Amino acid sequence: MTETKRRVGVYVCHCGGNISDVIDVQKVVDGVANIEDVVVARREMFMCSDPGQNLIAEDIAAHNLDRVVVAACSPSLHEATFRGTLKRSGLNPYLYEHVNIREQASWCHKDDPEGGTRKATRLVAAGIAKARNLVPLDPVRVPVTRAVAVVGGGIAGLRSAIDLAKSSFEVHVIERAADLGGHLARPGRVYPTDEPAQDLLTGLLAQARSLPGLTLHTETELVASTGYLGNFRLTLQGPSGEPRELTVGSIVLATGFEHYQPSLGELGFGMSDRVVTLPDFIERLDPRGPTGGQIVKDGKPVQRVVFIHCVGSRQLEGVHVPPEGGRLYEHCSRVCCTTALFASIELARKFPQVDIFDVYQDIRTYGRGQEDIYEAAARAGVTFFRVAGDAPPTVEIDASGAITVRLVDLLTFNEPIEMPVDLVVLVTGMIPRDITPLIEMFKLPRSPDGFLQEVHPKLRPVEVCVDGLFIAGACQAPMDVAEAAASASAASAKAACLLGGDVISLDPFVASIQAELCDGCGLCLAECVYVKALTRAEGETVPVVNTALCKGCGMCAAVCPHEAITVRGWEIKQYDAMVDAIVATGGHP
Amino acid sequence: MNTITDAVVIGGGIAGLQVALDLADQGFDVVIVEKEPSIGGKMISLSKVFPTLDCSSCICTPRMAAAAHHERITIMTCSEVQAVQRVGEHFSVTIRTRPRYVIESACIGCRKCEYACPVLVPHEFEGNLGARRAIYVPFTNAMPQVALLDVENCTFCGACARACPTDAIDYLQEPAITEMEAGAVVVASGYALTETQTADRYGGGKLANVLTGLQMERLLAPHGPYGRVLRPSDGRIPDTVAFVQCAGSRDHSLPEGQGVPWCSRVCCMYAIKQAMLLSGSLPLVDITIYYMDIRAFGKGFEQFYQNARAMGINFVKARVARITEGENANPVLRIERIEEDGRVEDQPHDMVVLTPGIVAGWDPSSVIPVQIGSDGFVLSEHASLAPCRTRVPGVFVAGTASGPKDIPDSIVEAGAAAMEAANHLRRTAYASRRRTEAEAGGR
Ligand SMILES: Cc1cc2nc3c(=O)[nH]c(=O)nc-3n(C[C@H](O)[C@H](O)[C@H](O)COP(=O)(O)OP(=O)(O)OC[C@H]3O[C@@H](n4cnc5c(N)ncnc54)[C@H](O)[C@@H]3O)c2cc1C
Repeated sequence: MTETKRRVGVYVCHCGGNISDVIDVQKVVDGVANIEDVVVARREMFMCSDPGQNLIAEDIAAHNLDRVVVAACSPSLHEATFRGTLKRSGLNPYLYEHVNIREQASWCHKDDPEGGTRKATRLVAAGIAKARNLVPLDPVRVPVTRAVAVVGGGIAGLRSAIDLAKSSFEVHVIERAADLGGHLARPGRVYPTDEPAQDLLTGLLAQARSLPGLTLHTETELVASTGYLGNFRLTLQGPSGEPRELTVGSIVLATGFEHYQPSLGELGFGMSDRVVTLPDFIERLDPRGPTGGQIVKDGKPVQRVVFIHCVGSRQLEGVHVPPEGGRLYEHCSRVCCTTALFASIELARKFPQVDIFDVYQDIRTYGRGQEDIYEAAARAGVTFFRVAGDAPPTVEIDASGAITVRLVDLLTFNEPIEMPVDLVVLVTGMIPRDITPLIEMFKLPRSPDGFLQEVHPKLRPVEVCVDGLFIAGACQAPMDVAEAAASASAASAKAACLLGGDVISLDPFVASIQAELCDGCGLCLAECVYVKALTRAEGETVPVVNTALCKGCGMCAAVCPHEAITVRGWEIKQYDAMVDAIVATGGHP
Repeated sequence: MNTITDAVVIGGGIAGLQVALDLADQGFDVVIVEKEPSIGGKMISLSKVFPTLDCSSCICTPRMAAAAHHERITIMTCSEVQAVQRVGEHFSVTIRTRPRYVIESACIGCRKCEYACPVLVPHEFEGNLGARRAIYVPFTNAMPQVALLDVENCTFCGACARACPTDAIDYLQEPAITEMEAGAVVVASGYALTETQTADRYGGGKLANVLTGLQMERLLAPHGPYGRVLRPSDGRIPDTVAFVQCAGSRDHSLPEGQGVPWCSRVCCMYAIKQAMLLSGSLPLVDITIYYMDIRAFGKGFEQFYQNARAMGINFVKARVARITEGENANPVLRIERIEEDGRVEDQPHDMVVLTPGIVAGWDPSSVIPVQIGSDGFVLSEHASLAPCRTRVPGVFVAGTASGPKDIPDSIVEAGAAAMEAANHLRRTAYASRRRTEAEAGGR
């Protein structure tokens, strides 16, 4: 297919052993070394390491390579690394082809090393075929608006907004409720600093209001978004009723979480006003709260209080029953163990006569200083009972209103316990908030637990798959105040990196049209799934691609009868060459 | 080298690398000061990571490479910060670089010296389970890929110098001192592990088949010391493996250096991870995890734990009172069950993994007046609202330097510390002033 002679370098990675434990990498090298245009073919322990990359750089210089193929892990890990190597060596970074022989060969063919090796050889041959047909590309450059919208005005939203305003970005906080602060706005003290939550909030709000360039929009919702990274056009619906337009370069989602609401009758919930959730209990402990800090039964202080952990968390199929149309919450809510113990210490301090019981599966006081809270609760006289996840306690309320908790205690070797109590505190978990409109607006994925899904749970926890969007705080996963603050600042840092310059470079893998082949049939226009990525002006024949909006999905190319529209870097003739190579390569004998 | 920069990041583990990248991508110049001969910290030595079971070096090397190749990031290895002096709104940072006895700019990482060296010593990177030479490249994917000579063990036979194709070996290299001027300092010096295996109750460090969590990481790594999981005493494949959780954590009775009273936060999850990897590579192995509470608190962790249970890994709520050696060098665990009937029994296993306590990797208060908690980790200015700001303006903290934590939490804090440091640099206008001065000077 290719007329011009190319000079291709091929590199097969051992990936430590991730690949070479299954695939015979030398055979792969030998199997492709004689393919037309291949000038060098080598293998190396870690291509991504400095020696691996230097090998490529040296070969580019010594052998005048003009195309490079690396067969290694998934392109999502190292494609960018090797494009960088080419760039540093003076080659256009898009003259690079990455072949995945780890996920697609060694890891899935552990039981058939020979077959895996043949497959790897074919995949590399296909990569070479594509590489021979690659052409230099330039990144798409889009101008940026130095403004950020922060959706949600809780701790994470405020923290993120303050960070960005300090970096002299224009910031808009969009809060649906009339008041800012989210869950922090409720009475109650928070660990680890043992301060009233509202004091934390007051400090943050004062700071936010003092910063120029930071606008707080309350009773406002984000109702529509068009545009793209660097230039999102948002429509806000405020209290006045008039929609308002806003252009921002980036969006931080900080929509938070909801408290699990037990269903009627779940552990006595709703059957007595003395079965309460932990957030409600914490409010009552606060002198500024609804009961003025008093915890009473029939006008007298309560005597016996039980905390029951993992209500709405760590739910198990077959043990817990989701409500109609609801789901099980299998995740651990992370903060409730410490929160509950912290509240029981406060309870013991204020009302020393109260007997406190704590029914748990595992005490997860994982954070700094939290083990001290656990130990302090034990010292304060809290009695612990441990139950198995599949044998939760029961709460019974008789006609007189008397409450009895029953459980099987693992700590006393399966002793059945029956205890009358005055107050039950259900240690409820954190669940994802229903933000369906936002999820649909941005086509955001959710994790199996229902929280927003980050790009990579280990290394990219505040990024989502939509470019220009970041997530902060508990919309990503349950977390405490300090963790939400850190996550918010991390999201701000990403936004600041993105919007720091005047332009943003995007990958050039977008649709492009060869006007002379286009007959204006319009099939592509109907197929394009991204708003305004492909448009045609009145009276024109040939559509126009908006390179900043096009995601290179290839739907248009698939339907074009004349191959007039194609995706750069993923052209049909490149695919043809790959298929030919796969068919032609029988692998080694 | 340019001795003026915007920020100095102390520690080139995953947290330090991420701080550097998030600052450099905002346009600031960063110098990473790393004590070891390679960046990457502890993460680069891990096998796979929970809960995704991604291969650790595969996701760590891109970050290392990105930092190493970033035009705004300078990396100094074998280097330590000796003093930090405040000069007006900025800092003067004294950095001492130990000699590698190999000229960094000349070494091409070909390892010919390593192959020529006749000396064999236990390899720290492999948890002393493998061997290295007296001159060596720290490990396969080390960055930079430059050899270093361990003078303690070198016999000065000259073989390496003769083998070196670029004359990079310099037996007479001296330590170098660099005075760096910077607008902000970020402490990302990570963690260290207690010597829990040396506690008398766990066999005093003399039992060959009692390993630490990090040693097990190396055995499980695809390019680890044995290439597979074997017993150090006899090279046999273990049939039963036990994990002792909280061996060096949540314990007030172990002396300093052997244990800590706090929760080390990652051990539950890495034990579960290692158990899963073990049962993947040795399908017949019988695995027991002795624990107090399973702290599977992070995103996706609880499911990970439930999967491990479903795979048939035994979870036994018990305290391990002591470990002795039985037949065939099998460690014998005296356990006290916390459940069932509370009985005390002796359980032999082929191999035992201890989870040491996590302590601070470095005490920065000797060079910077930051506050340190009673646990030895850096204290922040406000534990809730500004977890990454220390009480010294312009000094920030990220990752495990402020307490045990896993990789995602370290990464998040790194981003936060970078944001704080960037805003400090902007507020003090340090970076822009510096550039203006440089331009004026250049003209
Ligand atoms: C056995 C084990 C298994 C684990 N498995 C997992 C897992 O599967 N998933 C997970 O998320 N987490 C895991 N962890 C936790 C993980 O290792 C940490 O979260 C992570 O490595 C912390 O990174 P860091 O950069 O904060 O610290 P480090 O990795 O310790 O990096 C600190 C760096 O600073 C350097 N340094 C120290 N002092 C100085 C100084 N004075 N000057 C200059 N440099 C200095 C050190 O040499 C080091 O390179 C595991 C931990 C252990 C012990």
